[in-house]
Amino acid sequence: MQPISKDHSRIRGAHLVLLVVLAAVVLLYPLLTAKFPVYQRLGALVLLYAIGASAWNIVGGYAGQVSIGHAVFFGVGAYSAVLAYHHLGLPPIAGVPLGVLVSVLIAAIIGVPTVRLAGHYFSMATIAVAELTRVMTTTSDFLGGAQGLTGPTVPRSVLDLSFTSSLPYYYIFLAVLAGVLWLTWRMETSRMGFYLRAIKDNERAARSLGVMAGRYKLYAFMLSAALTSLAGGLYLTMFGFIDPDSGLGILISVKMLIMAALGGAGLLFGPLIGAAILVPLEEISNSVLGGRGAGLTFVVYGAIIMIIARFLPAGLLGLLTRLFKKSAAPGDRDAA
Amino acid sequence: MSLTLLQVIVSGLLLGAVYALFASGLTLIWGMMNVVNFAHGDFVMLAMYAAFVVWTAFGGGPAASVPIAAMLLATVGVLSYFLLVRHIMRGPMLAQILGTFGLALFLRYSAFWLFGSDFRTLPDTILGAPFEFWGLRVDAPRLLAGAIGLLVILGLHLILTRTSLGSKMLAVSEDAVAAQIVGIRPEYMQAAAWALAAGATGIAGALIATFFYTSPTVGETLAIIAFVTVSLGGFGSVPGALVAGLLIGVVESVSAYVIGPVYKDVIVYILFVLVLWFRPQGLMGKA
Amino acid sequence: MLWIGRAVLGVVVATALSAGAMAQQTVKIGAIYPLSGNAASAGNYSKAAIELGVDIVNNAHPDLKDLPLAATQGLPGLNGAKIEVVFADNQGTPAAGQNQALRLITEEKVVALLGAYQSGITVTASAMAERHGIPFVTPESVAANLTERGFKWFFRTTPVAGDIAKAYVEFLKQRKTAGAKVETVAIVNENTEYGTSIASVVKDEATKGGFNVALVIPYPANTTDVQPQVLQLKEKNPDVVVFVSYTSDAILYAKTMKDLNYKPAILIADNAGFNDPSFVKTSGALVEGLINRSSFAAGKPGSVSAIINDMFKKKTGVDLDDPSGRGLQGFLTLAEAINRAGSTDPAKIQAALRATDLKANQVVTGYNGVKFDEKGQNTLGSSLLTQMQGGAYVPVWPADKASGEIKLPYKGW
Repeated sequence: MQPISKDHSRIRGAHLVLLVVLAAVVLLYPLLTAKFPVYQRLGALVLLYAIGASAWNIVGGYAGQVSIGHAVFFGVGAYSAVLAYHHLGLPPIAGVPLGVLVSVLIAAIIGVPTVRLAGHYFSMATIAVAELTRVMTTTSDFLGGAQGLTGPTVPRSVLDLSFTSSLPYYYIFLAVLAGVLWLTWRMETSRMGFYLRAIKDNERAARSLGVMAGRYKLYAFMLSAALTSLAGGLYLTMFGFIDPDSGLGILISVKMLIMAALGGAGLLFGPLIGAAILVPLEEISNSVLGGRGAGLTFVVYGAIIMIIARFLPAGLLGLLTRLFKKSAAPGDRDAA
Repeated sequence: MSLTLLQVIVSGLLLGAVYALFASGLTLIWGMMNVVNFAHGDFVMLAMYAAFVVWTAFGGGPAASVPIAAMLLATVGVLSYFLLVRHIMRGPMLAQILGTFGLALFLRYSAFWLFGSDFRTLPDTILGAPFEFWGLRVDAPRLLAGAIGLLVILGLHLILTRTSLGSKMLAVSEDAVAAQIVGIRPEYMQAAAWALAAGATGIAGALIATFFYTSPTVGETLAIIAFVTVSLGGFGSVPGALVAGLLIGVVESVSAYVIGPVYKDVIVYILFVLVLWFRPQGLMGKA
Repeated sequence: MLWIGRAVLGVVVATALSAGAMAQQTVKIGAIYPLSGNAASAGNYSKAAIELGVDIVNNAHPDLKDLPLAATQGLPGLNGAKIEVVFADNQGTPAAGQNQALRLITEEKVVALLGAYQSGITVTASAMAERHGIPFVTPESVAANLTERGFKWFFRTTPVAGDIAKAYVEFLKQRKTAGAKVETVAIVNENTEYGTSIASVVKDEATKGGFNVALVIPYPANTTDVQPQVLQLKEKNPDVVVFVSYTSDAILYAKTMKDLNYKPAILIADNAGFNDPSFVKTSGALVEGLINRSSFAAGKPGSVSAIINDMFKKKTGVDLDDPSGRGLQGFLTLAEAINRAGSTDPAKIQAALRATDLKANQVVTGYNGVKFDEKGQNTLGSSLLTQMQGGAYVPVWPADKASGEIKLPYKGW
């Protein structure tokens, strides 16, 4: 046993060094890229999308309920923020708590009847609700109809969170993402996380052991909805504009899903990894190829997504986890 | 009932037959292999471009473009199966969404790159003038699409229920391991299902092209209706797709006419959510 | 991910340096358009029109001598410097539009921006330009609130919805005076920002003008079927129908009206989809006699607009359509201001834009000229009406800009 544990401590040490380096890079990134605003902003965008994808991960990854309608919660967050400004003259961020509340409420209303639906039916029900919301929004004057609503274009105070530089956005998003991941981690290690894993592995078996499968899936859905609406609110402070397509379109839902799936759904850092790959891929391919107007951006983007799905069906982080487990000796399992 | 309302219903039925036709390929794949094909709309788009090319290159109408598009799409289906789907089927449902979404973007923008962003149409006289009977007007291409749609759906249903190929495919979908024990190669059966489904989609696309515009993003417009049709009818149920398609077509037309076009999707989605509530397996799906 | 970022960063820095060496002879302008997604057809034609504008400015075109900068090579005010337009794809999303605006400003170091077709994307992209103090000219976004934001760097050359609606109502009044039965009006509009805003002002202006707006039918854009709308029109049978649609739906309306044998006495289509070259090519033969709104019309042979239309046709194979024509005018206005500023300093360009005073004969489109008010809105923008005659649009109203006779009632196919 002696050599194994020595080996193990070496791996752990390397792990630690890697973590420290990573943390330093993440913390210093906006300062390192201060001279390159596009890359500074790219960092902020990665974090913003990572918040959305991590929130989605709670229900889609951990609870295994694949929602393709999370745009509803994103949209509610963004619209609450802009409505606080548009109708009440408050800083957009003041609308965020309301957005969280409404999202949780909507999740409960959709969730109660739908969490009992198996697999694809849940996905389809969420699509239907999202599309319904989008169409209804276009007909509502209060919500700005099809034209959409604009946030504060010229900041009145720092509370409007309207900055030219991406640096403040980066750190705000980083803090929120850290909070989301911390909550997810708490959930993962709690009894709820344990139950969700059991339900995902075999719902019938979990139920027969007395796990209230429906209830825990619903909790996961509500938590996920609350955090997704945060992403929507933050999106609005950064971009300052929302309309039915950019807030409630099906593409918003799909993006959250593919980022989580690509990085590794059901893994704590999976969505962050997915966002860190897809957001730069999308932005850089658009910058390099988009101006030609031949649609090549999406040929490349689509091909890369397809190749990753083909060779790494469990996502990138899924592969790393498997490799790591393989490299550790079989007898090491209890320690890991 | 006023004549106009009758005309609205007839239009809705024809539209619904087309919805059913292009949803039938999707339901086959979804039901038999439990794979969600996000690229389905883009398969339809490829078939529409095939019809457009057949017409510009040799002046061929549906008589030529339907078989060509069917064969082309069957090939695309088999290729997709062996190169992509076979591998992602082993992964979770998410990997399938990821993979077929990538495929969708890839196909959509390959067409964009190849054909440009222009909208194309086939000449509206490709099948002659609209019919008029009892004061109702019916557009020839739509009638043809509806009629062939019904035939294709019937054909798919018969293949699945009356032929040995169909029963082998069903056996694989029920229990691949058991099927293998009795000597059925699951991969071949699944490839056959993809060929069949994509071929039917090819027929659908070539027919839709005769009365709809073709553009690289047209698949997006059509796909979401196909998804709703499939789940409303019940995953894997070809007759379910037919009933759901016709129902959606009529509900859309009538609600657009009576309440207003903006609300037609709202009505369809509400109907859909209600059906899911009371019959989660869809109208004709197995519980 | 980091090493990828670094590698790309390296490439970008390298290209930025090599671009810097060339900066003496070129002035960079950024243009943000929908080059992919649902509006890509329109975006790519606008791109072609702006590229044509670059050719007009950079090379000598003595036959276009009325047009500023056309006769000379490059910008005389900047020692003959050439203009380079860097295009970016807004992908149809406000987020991509804003991201690309930042890239064009900070990486490509453009001195001004053009774009972004969809009003919602113009909102976010121009906010980025405003924060960086870079002039933003929108040649085609018509949403009214764009010029109400108190921006100092924002300019709009296109006429807005209100002007457009007035043109229709004036035209209809004249028809009425001439003895035609013009009482009831129906409006069919797609329900995104463009259709909704145009429809509401047309409705207001028509009611004010004494017409009875009997029917307003909003419908979802990119719909799969339009038969119910056409049947509704057929049943109510209004004297005038106004369509506000994008290309995909415009094609369906043209086909469906023929399928259901429906012809109103006067059919007006508001620009956009009905002006898209791919609509004219695919469906022009189905809508003979359709009245359309345009700011661009190829005039008599030998005129500036006719020469430019020929140049565009040679480049793309289709006639110059209205949104692309307005795009071209936006670009030429900006180029003229940069030349007059004699500098690439954004503040000087902004001042020059403010002082812009182009006369009717100095513009490509049918505007009465270009002159901005304090909000950045062009006060001399105007629209003329064209009619589909023999598969092409011919200007027919007002009389002083017409080159053909109005033929009514609507003929169809």
